Amino acid sequence: MKNIINLAIISVALISFSCSDDFLNEPKPTDAVTENVIFDSREGVEAHLSGIQRFYRDQFRGADGSTDTGGMYSMYFVRTVKANDIIQGVSWFLFDYDNDNREPNYRRTIFTWDYPYYMINQANSIIQGLADSNLGVNDIKQLEAQAKAHRAFFYFQLAMEFQHTYSYDPSLPAPPIYTEMATEGKPMSTLSEMYDLIIDDLTYAVANLDENRLGKSYINKQVASGILARVYLVTENWQGARDAAISAYGGNPSASLNASEYGNGFDKIENTEWIWGSPQTNDQSNYYYAAPHAFSDHFADGYYASYINEDFRALFSATDVRNLFDETYVPAVGTEYKFLTTTKFKFAFDSDLPLMRTAEMILIEAEAKHRLSDPTAHDILFSLQSNRDPNAVKSSNTGAALLEEILVERRKELYAELGVEWFDAKRLRRAIPRTGNHRLPNSDLAADDPHFFLKIPQKEIDANDNIDASVNDGKNR
Amino acid sequence: MKQKLHRITMLLFMLVVQFSYSQNQTITVTGTVSDQTGPLPGVVVIIQNTATGTQTDFDGNFSINVNLGATLEFSYVGMKSMTKTILDSSSLSIFLEEDTEALEEVVVVAFGKQTKKSIVGAIASVSDDIIDNQQITSVATALQGNVAGVNIISTGGQPGENPIIRIRGVSSINADASPLIIVDGAPYNGNLNTISGDQIESMNVLKDAASTSLYGSRGANGVILINTKRGKFNTPTKVSVKTTYGLSGRAVDRHELVNTDTFTQYTWEAIRNSNQYAGGMSPEDAASSASNSLVTTLGYNPYNSSIPVGTDGKLVSTDKKWDTDWGALIENNNAKRIEHTLGISGGSENTTHSFNLNYLDQEGSIQTSNFERVTTRLSIDTKVNKWFKTGVSLFYSTSAQNFPDQSGTSFTSTVQWINNLSSYYPLYRRDANGNFIYDEKGNTIYDYGNNQGALNAVRPQYQGENVVGSLYLYEKQYKRDNFTANGYMHFQILKDLSFKTQISYEKYMYDFYEYNHNEYGVAASVNGRVDQDRNFTTTKNIINTLNYNRKFGEHYVNVDLIHEAFERNINDLGAQGVGFLPNVKVLNGSTTPEAVRGAFTDETLNSFLSRVAYNYKEKYFGEISYRQDASSRFSPETRVGSFFAIGGSWILSEEAFIQNIDQIQFLKLRASYGELGNNKTQDEFGDPDYFPYLSLYETGWNELDNTGVILGNISDTGLTWEKTASSNIGIDFGMFGQYLNGSIDYYTKTSVDLIYDRPLPSSTGNDAIKTNVGSLKNYGIEVSLRSNIISNKNFKWTTGLNFSFDRNKITELTQESFINGTKRWEVGRSLYDFYLTEWAGVNPANGKGMWYVDIEDAEGDVIGRDVTEEYADATRNYVNKSSLPDMIGGFTNNLVYKQFDLNFLFNFSFGSYVYDSSYASLMNGMEDVGRAAHTDLQYRWQKPGDITHVPLLYNSQNDFTSRSDRFLFKNDYIRLKALTFGYNLPKTITNKMNISRLRLFMQGDNLFTWQSHKGLDPEQNLAGTTDSRSYNLKTVSLGLNLDF
Repeated sequence: MKNIINLAIISVALISFSCSDDFLNEPKPTDAVTENVIFDSREGVEAHLSGIQRFYRDQFRGADGSTDTGGMYSMYFVRTVKANDIIQGVSWFLFDYDNDNREPNYRRTIFTWDYPYYMINQANSIIQGLADSNLGVNDIKQLEAQAKAHRAFFYFQLAMEFQHTYSYDPSLPAPPIYTEMATEGKPMSTLSEMYDLIIDDLTYAVANLDENRLGKSYINKQVASGILARVYLVTENWQGARDAAISAYGGNPSASLNASEYGNGFDKIENTEWIWGSPQTNDQSNYYYAAPHAFSDHFADGYYASYINEDFRALFSATDVRNLFDETYVPAVGTEYKFLTTTKFKFAFDSDLPLMRTAEMILIEAEAKHRLSDPTAHDILFSLQSNRDPNAVKSSNTGAALLEEILVERRKELYAELGVEWFDAKRLRRAIPRTGNHRLPNSDLAADDPHFFLKIPQKEIDANDNIDASVNDGKNR
Repeated sequence: MKQKLHRITMLLFMLVVQFSYSQNQTITVTGTVSDQTGPLPGVVVIIQNTATGTQTDFDGNFSINVNLGATLEFSYVGMKSMTKTILDSSSLSIFLEEDTEALEEVVVVAFGKQTKKSIVGAIASVSDDIIDNQQITSVATALQGNVAGVNIISTGGQPGENPIIRIRGVSSINADASPLIIVDGAPYNGNLNTISGDQIESMNVLKDAASTSLYGSRGANGVILINTKRGKFNTPTKVSVKTTYGLSGRAVDRHELVNTDTFTQYTWEAIRNSNQYAGGMSPEDAASSASNSLVTTLGYNPYNSSIPVGTDGKLVSTDKKWDTDWGALIENNNAKRIEHTLGISGGSENTTHSFNLNYLDQEGSIQTSNFERVTTRLSIDTKVNKWFKTGVSLFYSTSAQNFPDQSGTSFTSTVQWINNLSSYYPLYRRDANGNFIYDEKGNTIYDYGNNQGALNAVRPQYQGENVVGSLYLYEKQYKRDNFTANGYMHFQILKDLSFKTQISYEKYMYDFYEYNHNEYGVAASVNGRVDQDRNFTTTKNIINTLNYNRKFGEHYVNVDLIHEAFERNINDLGAQGVGFLPNVKVLNGSTTPEAVRGAFTDETLNSFLSRVAYNYKEKYFGEISYRQDASSRFSPETRVGSFFAIGGSWILSEEAFIQNIDQIQFLKLRASYGELGNNKTQDEFGDPDYFPYLSLYETGWNELDNTGVILGNISDTGLTWEKTASSNIGIDFGMFGQYLNGSIDYYTKTSVDLIYDRPLPSSTGNDAIKTNVGSLKNYGIEVSLRSNIISNKNFKWTTGLNFSFDRNKITELTQESFINGTKRWEVGRSLYDFYLTEWAGVNPANGKGMWYVDIEDAEGDVIGRDVTEEYADATRNYVNKSSLPDMIGGFTNNLVYKQFDLNFLFNFSFGSYVYDSSYASLMNGMEDVGRAAHTDLQYRWQKPGDITHVPLLYNSQNDFTSRSDRFLFKNDYIRLKALTFGYNLPKTITNKMNISRLRLFMQGDNLFTWQSHKGLDPEQNLAGTTDSRSYNLKTVSLGLNLDF
């Protein structure tokens, strides 16, 4: 009898645990969502775009990353320290300052490759997801336009960082092109193929976007035009640069400038002169990664690492709102470079980071018009100069001298923001000699110096069947 | 083990023979017990039907009070028990005979127990007496040097951390290759450091497929069965107390660093060289520029002179305002260790109980690092009636670990700091004149190296941090609570048929707390930060077993049918906030929240198992098992895996032709084959990946108030089980009258469908894809020998030696090769073969480093090699060195002389290589200024024509210390892992004190280490790479055991 009872217990126990598939299907990821959630609604795709936008200012690869390889702001700042106006102390970006940080196994090289491609793949994920989605045609166009603008922006960075400039020789090899998500490595492309894609994507973006956007960090028609204007400077399409710059800032210099905001610390995205930026808050911060702020602000708890070249200060008049230089330290023998600092950028964990401003577009317009022999070029330049300095006097420069004046104005206006001095030297195939009280002698860049670009990372060569080690041949100085 | 089981058998026998004399006259009986070798100490003498007894002393003598007519029973391990009825008080002389049946040892195996004789697989045991001789904070370390084929690597000196465990090589690349841990029959998911060594009866390591196949999808990496102590039926309650006090310090020496004066001169030289050789200055200009720029390059000046190094490269004066010994400030070489254990166990006729309480407080090798743990365990078993048995084991453990960073590259990584920051920099803040800066209360302030100022303000290394400050001003604590309830019910349905259901429930609470100071360090600008995580992991496991066993004549059959269901629920919650008043260190005091996070993650596994064991005449044994698992870690299409194993053994010594050989007492052959799985998928950080087959959009990447997601890692939806086919051939033997015992095993393990993050060109936007990529073979030989060298009345010496040779070979890949850090994987090579640029020494002409570059002919064949000064042009090659050791093992000795005992264990590892990146960093030759430097820089190149292997000091970016075999070193070591010296008080004294044992002992761990490459702890990691890890501890303790 007892045995029968026992058997009954066992049967019940066994049956109750011979369980159904539910037991195995129940576990589901809770902190991530699947593709159909993203591409079923405009809000879903916008969330994806927000994630991309966040990565402009995040700490790329988290714990594996380093303070000098955080996001777009790091790429801009590398260009800043490679030139002459800013002196980087013995801190992060040290070897970039030395103009020698480009070997295939170096962190700089790997980051400058991996990060843009990571962003390009995210953009491709949107472009591909939209192709199969059942959203409205207008929604698809607007969202796709943003994704294409991101893709173009990062291909533009790759094109500049891994080869001579476009005007040097458009047929030179450029990094591989992916227009959809892939698991197989593609071969090297050419600069002209890459710029064709960049211009196609940006043209599509400008055509399909309007002024509206979710916030000032997102891409709208103005931002896409601004990127295109920069691209046309490199490809020397002056009409295109002029039109794109005007589209980006509106064409009315006085309405788009506000000199009183220049000295406020470059830490608020609300600044009316900012076309595009990366906002930060205390709960969405990249902390000490924020370049240039964490490096150049000598009155906050950062790295105290960036100094101003005395020769650069000499370009500014006393009444220029941009003359934000401070004789913070007493120079001594051997410490000549530890002297001048700038208060342009205020550092805190919630400092916003600029990506594009109206003044840059005004100066692109001025340069483009000058190249097109448009006599209003000088007026446009002066509209900015007089806004920045009430005592400014219009120069009598013409021709090449006027072009130089525009280029100097670009440095004075945009210093430490996006590496404008390096950008101009690279596209115009000029040298960057180091002058003034620089820390490191003999770190000059010659015209068309191979040190204007990086070698292809070894790990790409290792993993990509279509690229072999010869890709780096002949890239030494 | 043997002895205890024997005693159980004996006591059970006493129960059966239920008769007793009435109360009678008490007399004192004395006598001597001996065997063929002479008097026998430690023989248990018990009055039948009672729990009263004694033991023979070292001369084999005993004395006991008994009632006239009572029966005394004499028992001893390996001897036949004997009874004697006491009829008068005359002295007894008892002779015990050897018991050949004593080999019937019982071993805990997968889902049950088996006699040792019937085991067909490869199982190794570590018993409580071995564990007792070591001071372990994580029980797995007790396996090191004691079990052949188990590679244990204890990385670092943080007490409470668990070692890396690999059984029989490494059969996974990216999936977790650590073994499954089973505690009292149920999978254990908490942290192993919550269990104390004193609670363990035995640890069994299941190594081959026959023994692990019943764990199916989780068994591929081997299984460790931990069996905790339980009470014995009919045993008087015994109380044991053990207490130890000790001190610990670093077990081996650190790398030798140059002093501040040398450092300063070297830095000058490096700047001079850069000026001269990179900058093209004349030697005079280069020297004077170096003198002038030295202080500004270093940022600080501890010297009284404003230009401390003259143009001749010599210090003007060695007088300094500070000289910081970071090592002395950061390390703790007087770390205390205290451990107390209380054990109470016993049993009546139907119920047993066992209770254990352990307290451990151990400091680590880094200041403020410690581990404090209280752990308790209570087990009760009861026989309710003839057909129903039940029992429960309750376990609770709580621990707190203060864990300053002891590896890695974060700024607060302590050992990295010692090896990377020169003694040139001050601990406390100094003004431009080198005087202390005080806070408003007049106290010195830690220098974080990021202050406003032109001198003594901005450090070139680790700006914004001060590790000594971080040790005392920050807090980083891990608390773990673990509660386990493990119960069973056993029903004897028929004589041959039984059913058992076992349910275990485990709750693991992990509580992380970190505080960064409000005024100094990383969070100073936001007035401090508190970060907390509180994660709950709940696991439930139910096992139902139907067992049938029966003997048909000489045939014995045992059949198990088992169902197992497993569920894990993880509930994570975390918060982080900034903005704190001084001394407010809780989130309630935060003014600004920085982050909140939380997630639920579930995992399930559902399995059906069966096993049939058969033997004939207890001479021929066979076993076959089958398991089917379904795991939620894989897609519904790929989640079911089937695993089987078959094994057999043959007791040759039962055959007449062996029995005739006098030298051989026991001989057994074993063979097995089976397939196992591995579902322990991991992400790139080594954390479990519960949904590896899904490509997902990760939440949390918000842009201000807009929800943001980002496409996570690319996945392979067809990802499936990694499977390992194992075969094992083994022999067990006992020879020369049990003088020599041992086993030898040969195994091969072939793993297919390896789960791996296959590298992708990062131009695709992804670094890697998790997929099944190829196959891998591990094979090796394990030898384990034990010998009773001397065994006589006063002196006993037993020794054991075990070692294994383990090899690893890739047998298939989906592409030709992968580069993986310092390794390249290709068919025919091991996962652990270094693939590096080869260092070609220093060019005597200019002091620059050189590497080899292959010369190829037109067909691309290598026809020779050349040297280059361009690192990027150098060729990488296999350097025929591996990070896997050729041989690992251990050597144990146990000596007993009268009341004294001595036990020591060496473990060793030969043939592996380590890539020492700490040394590389110390040899960086002032490329990065401000870094600490190794004394080997004295051999640097200094002028054209110098022949040396150390390049010039050079303050410009260079590749001299880039990855090459320049920093690959042989990593052989022998370690005196444990040494115990004890003294037992004689019975004559303990009897007077009314206690059964009092033992005083001294224990030493890691007292001595011989190593081929100095400066590092030889235990680093499997890949043979360093990570600024802290050092294993050398511990010396005094202790006592008290039993009553």
